[in-house]
Amino acid sequence: MNEILTGYTTQEKLEILADAAKYDVACTSSGSDRRGKKGFLGNASACGICHSFAADGRCISLLKILMTNHCVYDCKYCANRASNDIPRATFTPEEICELTIEFYKRNYIEGLFLSSGVLKNPTYTMEKMCETLLLLRNKYCFNGYIHVKTIPGASDEVLAAAGYLADRISVNLELPTAESLSKLAPNKSFQTILDPMGKVSDTIASHRAAIGKDPHMERSSGNKYLQNSIFSKDRLVTKKERGQLSVSGKNALVPSGMGKLTRSFAPAGQSTQMIIGATPESDYTLIQTTQKLYQSYDLKRVFYSAYIPINEDNVLPGLGTPPPLLREHRLYQADWLLRYYGFTADELLSEEKPNFNEQLDPKCDWALRHLDYFPLDVQSAPYDLLLRVPGIGPKSAGRIMYARRYGRLDFDSLKKMGVVLKRAHYFIICNGKQMYNTPIEERFIERQLTDTNRRENWKLANSNSTYQQMSLFDYGIG
Amino acid sequence: MKVFCCEDRFEDMLTCIYDAWSVALTEGHENVRVVREPVLQQTLFDEYIHVEPDRDKLEKVIRSIKRQISNQAYMYVFYASLSSEEDALQAIYNFLRVGFAVGGQVCSMYTNPHVMRMVELKRRIGNEGHYFREFARFTSLDNKVYVCHIEPKNNVVMMVGNHFADRMPSEHWMIIDDTRKLAVVHPKDEENYLRYLTDTEFESLSHSEDYSDKYTDMWKSFFDVIAIKERKNISCQRNMFPIWMRKHAVEFMDD
Repeated sequence: MNEILTGYTTQEKLEILADAAKYDVACTSSGSDRRGKKGFLGNASACGICHSFAADGRCISLLKILMTNHCVYDCKYCANRASNDIPRATFTPEEICELTIEFYKRNYIEGLFLSSGVLKNPTYTMEKMCETLLLLRNKYCFNGYIHVKTIPGASDEVLAAAGYLADRISVNLELPTAESLSKLAPNKSFQTILDPMGKVSDTIASHRAAIGKDPHMERSSGNKYLQNSIFSKDRLVTKKERGQLSVSGKNALVPSGMGKLTRSFAPAGQSTQMIIGATPESDYTLIQTTQKLYQSYDLKRVFYSAYIPINEDNVLPGLGTPPPLLREHRLYQADWLLRYYGFTADELLSEEKPNFNEQLDPKCDWALRHLDYFPLDVQSAPYDLLLRVPGIGPKSAGRIMYARRYGRLDFDSLKKMGVVLKRAHYFIICNGKQMYNTPIEERFIERQLTDTNRRENWKLANSNSTYQQMSLFDYGIG
Repeated sequence: MKVFCCEDRFEDMLTCIYDAWSVALTEGHENVRVVREPVLQQTLFDEYIHVEPDRDKLEKVIRSIKRQISNQAYMYVFYASLSSEEDALQAIYNFLRVGFAVGGQVCSMYTNPHVMRMVELKRRIGNEGHYFREFARFTSLDNKVYVCHIEPKNNVVMMVGNHFADRMPSEHWMIIDDTRKLAVVHPKDEENYLRYLTDTEFESLSHSEDYSDKYTDMWKSFFDVIAIKERKNISCQRNMFPIWMRKHAVEFMDD
């Protein structure tokens, strides 16, 4: 496909290419901590900074654009597939750089998120993207956050260059199983996705080891107190064991012709995203895949994107099917349980119970099925069990651990420390007493908790519908 | 009861605490109070004493907090002093009473209500500082100077300023707290400093938001385009970006 001179202005291109990029989920700017430098523009902070929130409630942290929405691939779920008749545009590298710099100076954004359709072939596209990044880093002296998507099938040299220029690098897994992928994305294969993922992960590990860090990515600090979290050393899958998953010949990526560039290789790690709801996989499959990705590829994040029907195709859900937002929410909750709370996929779901409960969040659901652990005495319970109480998170669990050295806890002080008592009070005791006289009985607590969650769930599931409470003002009375 | 009052500045507040404390040593801690001015309603039987800042007393207070309690406790006191909550000064006083009694471990005593109040104040300040790091918007005046207006509840303009000093060291910029008429000024490649603006300065700077350029427009259209309409969720947007913080965010301004 040749460069077509369409005569769009930068503003029009921005509209087309931001619109095309909006279905990419990852818009985080976290994981990289870098001070600013004189003469340069920008820094990066580990917590990530959101700069605005769009009408769908998603954060806008990065300038999320495609370099081009021309694409030679024809993935069935994608808005930019070759067979769609839509306006197509391509940014020049300078346009992207200027937009990024000017937006950044006005504090609109935290950095650049650059993805692209496939122009000619993957390697050519990646080369163009790297050219943009090199320009941005060197000529425009940009020191802020950059997230770059890799194009599956691009050569190792450009992949390496991208990794050294960006903070986070990601390749989209798109679908959790090879069958679904070959059905919906005929030009991609599991191997072309897992292969770069493996190489990037190995390079990150060796680079981290070379600069004196732990080769594994940093995780939530609570994980070091958890015996059985998915990140504990004996559970992480080594490169050798992963062998059958990816067939990476050489492991480390080496960029060519990058000369004096002294940057870390993808300091914010790599991430991926999966589409949910387009194919019939169960939550169990999804959450197991997620866990495997964390353990064997040391991904920093796995994102889920509720499928929104934009194309008509007989293998896809029909147009107008509402996106499975509640399911996406449950998966994210489970993802947090894996990364912060020391749960494993098998504890949350099983073959017999492959999907999450719509009514209850995964943590409450787990607690209800394991009432034998409860009630816990907050004065003496170990950290890992405190974390498993619904309504207690890493922060409040940490505070409880500190505070109980110096005095007895009561429900009032627990509340002040941030414990959500409306969920927690069924499962804990303070000074030998429960907060109210409630039985430790599955049916009872389930009913109570379902009612507590009902409003939130309804709002999530129906965030699109426009029903509202009738009011007399609607009829001109009052 | 004696009530010591002072201006809303860090120096004044610690001097006020010093004076109140020295009286409390003879009359008892329960018989003194500390408040910040303006005192809107005076009580009939209390004696109000205005305190002027004093550098020596300030240093004494800081030194004894650092030595006898901890550096962390000093951070707590400093952050709480930025708060706009009415009881912030009294909260610092109460916290110091506990602190001088038990020493360095005070910051972990989450069961003590006075300590918890300080933790809460510090958390609120920190959160608000972070919000304005996110939602501050600069206007470019001919690509030379970048000016930003914010209207925070607490006095966080300095925290926000320090963040941008690291981020944009080689630009001229200033951040103005409209409610306090307080500005962080950062000349190119130099240190940033705090400055109270005079009325004329403030008046001329308040028009900076009338400027707009093509990047403002592009940002607005980017902002509209990036939302997925099938997922529209206004209440979530309001949760994440409260309306009172949107006053100076260009994407929410009508032309």
